Amino acid sequence: MKGVVLSGGTGSRLRPITHTGPKQLVPVANKPVLEYAIEDLKEAGITEIGVILGNKGRDEIQELFGDGSEYGVDITYIVQGNPLGLAHAAGCAKDFVGDDDFVMYLGDNILKSGVTELVKSFETGNYGAGIALQEVDDPQAFGIADVDNEGNVTELIEKPDEPPTNLALIGMYVFSPAVFDAIDELEPSWRGELEITDAIQDLLEDGYEIDSHIVTGWWKDTGKPQDILEANRLVLEDTELNTAGVVEDGAQTDGCIELADSSVIEDGAVVRGPVSIAENTTIKSGAYVGPYTSIGANSTLEDIHIENSVVIGDSEITTNGRIVDSLLGRNANVGSADELLPEGRRLVVGENSQLKL
Amino acid sequence: MRIITHTCPACGTVVAANQLEDSRVMKCPGLGCQEVVRFEDLPEDAREHFLENRDRYQI
Ligand SMILES: [Zn+2]
Repeated sequence: MKGVVLSGGTGSRLRPITHTGPKQLVPVANKPVLEYAIEDLKEAGITEIGVILGNKGRDEIQELFGDGSEYGVDITYIVQGNPLGLAHAAGCAKDFVGDDDFVMYLGDNILKSGVTELVKSFETGNYGAGIALQEVDDPQAFGIADVDNEGNVTELIEKPDEPPTNLALIGMYVFSPAVFDAIDELEPSWRGELEITDAIQDLLEDGYEIDSHIVTGWWKDTGKPQDILEANRLVLEDTELNTAGVVEDGAQTDGCIELADSSVIEDGAVVRGPVSIAENTTIKSGAYVGPYTSIGANSTLEDIHIENSVVIGDSEITTNGRIVDSLLGRNANVGSADELLPEGRRLVVGENSQLKL
Repeated sequence: MRIITHTCPACGTVVAANQLEDSRVMKCPGLGCQEVVRFEDLPEDAREHFLENRDRYQI
């Protein structure tokens, strides 16, 4: 069994954060989203991994993961270039996959339960493919699967008006090499992409059984800022957090706090977990860091009250205000305007930023 | 749709034909790899097929 992780796409819904890098490297609990996918595959015993690269962030992704040895896996990079659809991405991995089965994992997805159960379920039968499903409240907005009593998929329908089930396809699949023949036969869809659901539908029509596995733990597609915050909350809630850094006397802390060993919570600061604070970061007197917040490396926080937020890193936040439900990009700084005249806020805001003042 | 790729002989990075055809001659996108990869590195039948169906590879 091999793994294929998709990390193309434009990340347009995460602008301005993605103006400078790929969406799959946006950190959740101070770890790039893509790293969760690599770790999940490794946990399922899959160590030969193809990482599909789009046009954006190729070098950054290769710099981070290298040949995979630091993660205990062996990575091959596959350059898809233009985003011609998930089935095109899978097709680009054909030579890498060879005659093996493979897990295909969308690199901007993050899920509690990993891929082990999906793989196990697939391996119990002689399936053409296996798909991960999750119950959703609004099936009209998703690709939906109909399944029989044995859990075999009988039909896939994209955003149905009258959904037969509320079982949505999430971004995880297992394929036998038969999928490559199906992809060979595909035509671009109305939206001009080679659709993986069409390939699975073709496998069905060719007589292959398609397994389904229902994922019960949380699953998040981190395409939008709100999703990053939500994923950050879910991961912080679920992860064991270690305090390795310095908590000075006079600092108030409670709950689980991940504090890198080079970071400090100073006298007079308040931190209420679950919180993650990365390397070389200082939480100074007067700062309050509330639950479900991740502060990236090389940052300083002073006077600010911040909660349910993600600060990616290299930031100085030193104003006496409240920041909630926010995503701050790398090297974003927030200072005080108190002493400045005329009175008012001073902003240097990048393209596609969103502020609520 | 036939999906055509080329594997860099130096580092093993796989490059899709649409990417190769875009630049014709390019430095291998594998980080630190100095190999030059070309659309012409593809077998002739693959190149012909690609060029005949060029529009579909631009979707
Ligand atoms: Zn190379």
